Amino acid sequence: MALRAVLLRQLRVPVQTLALAGCKSQPWSFSSCIRLMSSHDDHLSKEQVIGRVLDVVKSFPKVDPSRVTPDVHFQKDLGLDSLDNVEIIMAIEEEFKLEIPDKEAVKIDSCNLAIEYVYNHPMAA
Amino acid sequence: MSVSTAAYLARRAAQKERVQILYRRALRDTLTWAVHRHLFYQDASNLREKFDANKHVEDLDAIDRMIAEGEAQYNKWRHPDPYIVPWAPGGSKFTRNPTPPSGIEIVYNYGREDND
Repeated sequence: MALRAVLLRQLRVPVQTLALAGCKSQPWSFSSCIRLMSSHDDHLSKEQVIGRVLDVVKSFPKVDPSRVTPDVHFQKDLGLDSLDNVEIIMAIEEEFKLEIPDKEAVKIDSCNLAIEYVYNHPMAA
Repeated sequence: MSVSTAAYLARRAAQKERVQILYRRALRDTLTWAVHRHLFYQDASNLREKFDANKHVEDLDAIDRMIAEGEAQYNKWRHPDPYIVPWAPGGSKFTRNPTPPSGIEIVYNYGREDND
């Protein structure tokens, strides 16, 4: 009996980590599922935007995927030129179904700016 | 000296932006012209080769002339009915079912809420 009490006192069930893991394994929350049929897609979370932008940049043929981080500069850090920059922005536009005005799209030259722009865009989907 | 250097750099920067915008528009137009994605890849790489062929030109006036030529060519071959993202002006979903402004909600009482 004493042994059981000691054992129970030492025993810790990792409830919290389990709950967190459960959240992470289910990326679509209920609120975002229920908006799928509406004419406007629900707004994206920051993590979704970061993940998808990084996926797009990593899948660009001239980019070494291991060097891509959320605050990487396309031309300074990844060794791309200005036309590659244009192609990456086009790919990001297609990924999020956006249409970025030319003057603004030319100004986006790093992952950080791209993530900020997409996250703040009301039509990003 | 420094004034002319600054002017030179400013002109180069303006040219760089012009080329970027021209390439962007041309690439978008290529995507509109190409019926299938696998056709687009070949067209896009041809377009990129055309731009890369004049990558190392240093003469400012020659660059200006080339950009003007490229823009003229782009305008000549521009697609008459380009693809537009659905929500954008001219798109198929433009102003359809917009979300109501904040502070306005739909009440499903059909006007009876005043008479009760």
